Amino acid sequence: MTGKDIFKITFNLVVIYVIGGVILATVYAWTSPIMYRNAVLEKEQALKKLMPEADKIEKIGDWSIHEKHAEYFIAKKGDSIIGYIIQSFGKGYSSYIDTLIAVDKDFKVQRINILKHAETPGLGDEIETDSFKKQFEEKDLEHLEVLKSDTTEYVQAISGATISSRAVTEDAVKNGVEFLIKTIKEEGAEHDRQS
Amino acid sequence: MTDKVNYLDLVKNGIFKENTIFKLALSLCPSIAVTNKLENGFLMGVAVLFVQVMVNITVSIMRKFIHPRIRLPVFMLIISGWVTVTDMTMAAFAREVYKEMGLYIQLIVAFASILARAEMFASKNKIAPSMFDGIGMGLGFLFALVVISFFRELLGKGSLWGYPIIHAKPLLIMILPAGGFLAVGILMGFFNWISVRYENKTR
Repeated sequence: MTGKDIFKITFNLVVIYVIGGVILATVYAWTSPIMYRNAVLEKEQALKKLMPEADKIEKIGDWSIHEKHAEYFIAKKGDSIIGYIIQSFGKGYSSYIDTLIAVDKDFKVQRINILKHAETPGLGDEIETDSFKKQFEEKDLEHLEVLKSDTTEYVQAISGATISSRAVTEDAVKNGVEFLIKTIKEEGAEHDRQS
Repeated sequence: MTDKVNYLDLVKNGIFKENTIFKLALSLCPSIAVTNKLENGFLMGVAVLFVQVMVNITVSIMRKFIHPRIRLPVFMLIISGWVTVTDMTMAAFAREVYKEMGLYIQLIVAFASILARAEMFASKNKIAPSMFDGIGMGLGFLFALVVISFFRELLGKGSLWGYPIIHAKPLLIMILPAGGFLAVGILMGFFNWISVRYENKTR
């Protein structure tokens, strides 16, 4: 291999990689605004879906779990508060599971939704199924626990995906509800003192 | 006329004689990882089919500009480029499909089968045959994934494409990784047994 060859090969590789980089950058510049808009729209729709009874859902604050930024919302119907929605994360088998949890005034879980995760396809991603998410209806803080046996009182683990089930139930949902109870009650107490 | 027959042979070659999974035993990792549901296997197969065809075409077009010493890094760039482009455009324009397939698309970058076809076929052949080789290989992969996931979902969950079929306690092992090895091994043996018998008969 002569010096000329080295130059030729390097030039060849550089040209091809630069072209590849330009193509990727163009596609990214073209698609990323659309992706961002989709994500915003999707979040709004996801919030509405969790609290179909509410006619107004407002953000009331930020919090963080697993060093990730999350938000929480208040749901109103007319002037009365009917519940809260909180975003939370659970540490799963292979990813952080991004969830939304809707609770009523008494902090009983109404619905949950899984926004994003990268759990094992076919096992862990069963957390997205309705039959799993339905289990959270009307569960209060004490009953947010995963059991491996048949149960309706608690949350039943998905077979083959106990870690993902636990991450959703005992990490994301439980911590989210706990945080809501603590913050909202504290705020309420402060409110009472002031008035 | 002879050209057409050749193309058909290329497609058939990919599905039967050189089936990626059952004959070449390439890309066995995804064939176990994503085949616990028929739907997953099918979607993965379609994604691979698309990427394989596009990569084969691109490599074939560029084969004269690529210095032989750097062909592997360039092939990797082409593969990852196509995968990323597919990933981004799908996320932007086909949200619903992306939600189902997004998990798998990025995995395709590391598929041995795609790199192998770019190296063994597309880098030595013209565009049209490369495209048909890609179609054949992609269909072969799709076929293998569908067959494996068909049996795994049926036995492991008692359902097909999410619809319950068998109402009995399923063999959970079939949807776990161990069941994947069992299914791939048994089906690989079965297909090789058939092809050995078939070859003996034609001889």
